[in-house]
Amino acid sequence: MSTGATAVGAAGTGGGMIAAATRFLLHTTAGVRLLAGGIILAVWEIGTRLFAAPFVARPLEIVAAFPRVIIDPGYWAATWSSLSAVIVGLLIALVAGTLIGLLVGRLPVAGRMLGFYVNGFYAMPMIAVLPLLTIWFGYESAARLATIVFAALFSVIINVSDGARSVPREFIEVGRAYRAKARHIWFDITLLSALPYIIAGVRLAAGRALVGAVLAEIFASIEGLGMFILANARGLRQNDAVVGVLMLCAFGLLFEWLMNWVLRRWFPWYRRGDGET
Amino acid sequence: MFRSGARLLGVAQVLSSLVLGLTIWEIAGWQFNSAHMVPFFGSDTPWVAAIADRIADAWYGVAGIFGAARPEAQAHPGTLPRLIEFVQEGEFFVAVGESLTLFGTGFAISLAIGLPLGILMARLRRLRIALEGYILGLYVTPMAAMIPFILAIFGYLFWPKTIVVVLFTVFPVLYNTLEGARSLKPEMVEVARSFRSSEIRLWFDVLLPYTLPFALTGIRQAVGRGLVGMVAAEIFLSNTGLGGWLVESSRSFDMAGVLGAILMITVLGTVTMQFVQRLESRFAAWRGTER
Repeated sequence: MSTGATAVGAAGTGGGMIAAATRFLLHTTAGVRLLAGGIILAVWEIGTRLFAAPFVARPLEIVAAFPRVIIDPGYWAATWSSLSAVIVGLLIALVAGTLIGLLVGRLPVAGRMLGFYVNGFYAMPMIAVLPLLTIWFGYESAARLATIVFAALFSVIINVSDGARSVPREFIEVGRAYRAKARHIWFDITLLSALPYIIAGVRLAAGRALVGAVLAEIFASIEGLGMFILANARGLRQNDAVVGVLMLCAFGLLFEWLMNWVLRRWFPWYRRGDGET
Repeated sequence: MFRSGARLLGVAQVLSSLVLGLTIWEIAGWQFNSAHMVPFFGSDTPWVAAIADRIADAWYGVAGIFGAARPEAQAHPGTLPRLIEFVQEGEFFVAVGESLTLFGTGFAISLAIGLPLGILMARLRRLRIALEGYILGLYVTPMAAMIPFILAIFGYLFWPKTIVVVLFTVFPVLYNTLEGARSLKPEMVEVARSFRSSEIRLWFDVLLPYTLPFALTGIRQAVGRGLVGMVAAEIFLSNTGLGGWLVESSRSFDMAGVLGAILMITVLGTVTMQFVQRLESRFAAWRGTER
């Protein structure tokens, strides 16, 4: 505490500035994070200068590459291509997954008939179907979309069926008692009370979809961020490629933040289950 | 009596869904050119080939009246015979061995890094604050994007592939271990401290057992991601193991090989996931009633 008081008292003098900066870096959350980030970047920079080949990405050169990449229309085309495919794929997976998930969760027969396949496909590493999907859909963006849907669908189904199963029995009984129609029981009671699960499922699905998109682009050379990264890394322009990775990282954080925000804002009673893959 | 009847019905439903699925696969496989889709049993299995022949006879017996000629019989190599062949040649065990070695090595390294570092970060508050944001960033970044860098910098042999598996697996383990260890009540540490427990005893008797169920959640995620990383490394770096078999079959349009490899990778995924899920529910009781 005394350091803080001194720093405030002596602000303006050179020693005071240093003390204030030290206090900021060591004793505030933002400062500690900044310091750690600085140390990581410094180690990366010095390490690559000392031990790595000259083409390996370095922080200073990435900063230099940043404006160059940002004004490159190809970069934005790649970003848009990947992002739009992920969004369309997620929407398809959301609609189909919700319908199948409701069936699997509410109808014991459907649960037994489909549960085996849902769990099997969910446990299957999505990249395994990539060669198959490129044979079926060709080396173009349809194969990527199929990969994204495949990657996202089963985590939606599993979460929605969990949600549909956990609907309190009383809700449905009250609905029946008031002679609610089947579609009201399915869509107004079951679907609504499974909504937080659906969002949690989409949150997991988004991460998988992003991985699926990148893998499909690398595997089948489809225009997109994965291909952008691959092309630049192959052309010994790793610094440019890292800017592509940063965009993917931003997408990951954005999806995560968005889904958490939606859950907290509209479904504060829902406890975040322990996430899946 | 009723219970066992319901149970029998359930088993029958699961079995019939399996039979139904195989039948659909078989029928779909016979419809297409063998470069696009192949059946499960295929024309290498005599009794299935005989049934297919009967059906074609009947079909073209009727269609022949209207002038449709029966096309020449095509080969529909089956997935199961291809798998059996693969096992008999011994390649199967080599491939599974290579894949498991890669996965096991990468996973072990991830555990060796993620578990201690996660607990350490929960113990040292400042270290956690410093690194938490960056770890979350790496946790949500699709690590598939790192594959081109690894290929360019480290090459394509065993250790670079291991790095891919580590990159895919280490962050779920680290993140969940950290989150779990953080939720430890300070009272537990205080009690251990007041009984003069040393830091090492504290780790082994309090922190590790407390964190284990949380870490297992991360480990389950890591298994799923690690299998993707394993196959990705085998496809994009040097072609070994099941992933290598998959990509080599797809290059030579050996559809039976592709489906066989996918089937085996799925079996591997299901078995490991089941194993970790069992482990997780076994230790879930350690979480207590909190959370």
